[in-house]
Amino acid sequence: MALRFPSLAFFEALQREMRAERERFARLGFFDTIFGIRVLPESPGAAAEFVLGFEVFDCVRVAEGLAGVETDFVAEGSFSAWREMLDNIHALGAADAAHSFNTLTHFGERLSVRYDDPDRHDKVYRFAESIQEFLDLSARFDFDYPDGSRPPARRQLRRTAT
Amino acid sequence: MSYLSTTDFAEDQKFVDRFRQTMRGDLELSWMDVAREPVSCRPQNERRGLTFRDLDVGSYGFTEMPERIRQNRSFAPRGAALPPGLPDLQAEVNRKSEVWAYNVEGYYEEAMTRQWNATTDIPWDELQQTELPEEIGKAYAQLLTFLTEVEMIATDVPAKWMGRLNADFFEVKNFIATQAMDEARHTEIFRKRALSTGYGLMRASAHNEFNLKFLRDADSFAEASLALHLQAEGMVLTLFRFSEYISPTEGDKKLFRLVMQDEARHVGYGMQHLKWVLDHFPERRELIHHHLDEAENFVFGGGYATEVVEPFIILSGKGLKKEQIAEGVRITNAFQLKQIEEYFERLAKCGLPERRERSRLWRLVDLNRQAMAAIAPSTSVPHA
Repeated sequence: MALRFPSLAFFEALQREMRAERERFARLGFFDTIFGIRVLPESPGAAAEFVLGFEVFDCVRVAEGLAGVETDFVAEGSFSAWREMLDNIHALGAADAAHSFNTLTHFGERLSVRYDDPDRHDKVYRFAESIQEFLDLSARFDFDYPDGSRPPARRQLRRTAT
Repeated sequence: MSYLSTTDFAEDQKFVDRFRQTMRGDLELSWMDVAREPVSCRPQNERRGLTFRDLDVGSYGFTEMPERIRQNRSFAPRGAALPPGLPDLQAEVNRKSEVWAYNVEGYYEEAMTRQWNATTDIPWDELQQTELPEEIGKAYAQLLTFLTEVEMIATDVPAKWMGRLNADFFEVKNFIATQAMDEARHTEIFRKRALSTGYGLMRASAHNEFNLKFLRDADSFAEASLALHLQAEGMVLTLFRFSEYISPTEGDKKLFRLVMQDEARHVGYGMQHLKWVLDHFPERRELIHHHLDEAENFVFGGGYATEVVEPFIILSGKGLKKEQIAEGVRITNAFQLKQIEEYFERLAKCGLPERRERSRLWRLVDLNRQAMAAIAPSTSVPHA
């Protein structure tokens, strides 16, 4: 059975992929943050929420739900916004210029970063490359969406100049 | 040679005799008998390795370090026995609250593990294959020229202060050594990217250089840190994030993600330092405001100069056509508002919430808002 986005199993798969790439993440350096992922439904209903905890070079915590969890920030967006990012990563192997996590969240147009503490918020940027490479790992496994559709098959990574 | 030894050791008979005795095997060994605090530090987290925090024990640690360093005036490592006759090196900064930051030891460890290489970590071959349209290439080269100019001074400032801090503040000295390395790498990468665009370096900025001179010539480390780490780098951090947003290729995006990581660490130190100052040296509050008054004036002059702002407008609008410029102005305005908003958020978090009311930067915000309303009153505006 394919993994589904959004689901705990999806983020556990990312955790496994990260562990398989320990050397790559060790090269990027200490990665110490706890952040949330919130996927807002397109129609009325509850958001899907997950917490991801990173320590040293590892993803040490993946859990469902953000209630009562202290996070540095929460990355939030509609299901379609998350899907657009994941489709792009899956098709190209890594986010292109229009779909990097920073680009999508910078003005909060597609995804946004919610935070209470600007110091902890800055961890988005202290660990920017680690977060991007973690999300890019979703290109490595098959998954589907709640309607049964799948992200596009892998194409050659294109290099764009916008 | 401004400093000469007061002793000519080759002619000092007592010194020469003692050396001869030692080399004949007649050891003196007084250094072995000095009463010391024996410790055997171990990593608290094996996966992280042995960190400075693991060494925070007794007289070796930073927790018990006093506010005023009256004992150690030399290069002696903190916790070492201080024999009579050590020179007074006249460090300029001897108060802990002038340099210390919460978690400075953590920022240092993070910096050491997150170093990267401008020569090998950027996909230069892919960047070479991407030809930028002329107006985009020139605007990008001008932005890179500005950033090269900025980062050179950001290297000089921490390097200038490193040797002026009391040796007991070695965690801070080490941290600003990593900062100097980070900023040197930023100078390197922006220069390399500028010279690989096909356009080379464009025009230096006189307005910007007045701001850089202000940063370099701060009268104290506390002033330098406030203006550099918190104010200038805080604004540059938002600028790097915006530069990632408007970057023309994936390789350029990676470049800006890597520099923003370093910059965010420096801002983190600046925030935690200001918090420490306000917690431990509250009488400095008014001085901080006075320094920010001046720093903000320079930022307005330097950060909003023509050769700095226009490349942002062209890059974010993706060209020089009228509608592209209008779009570029709209996005650049939103960036500037975000930059100022984040600056005040950080100051408030550090314990300076009243800065928002006192600052003249709001005049700039008003100018931006008027400009945005005039250009595109009916179009959506990115959240600032």
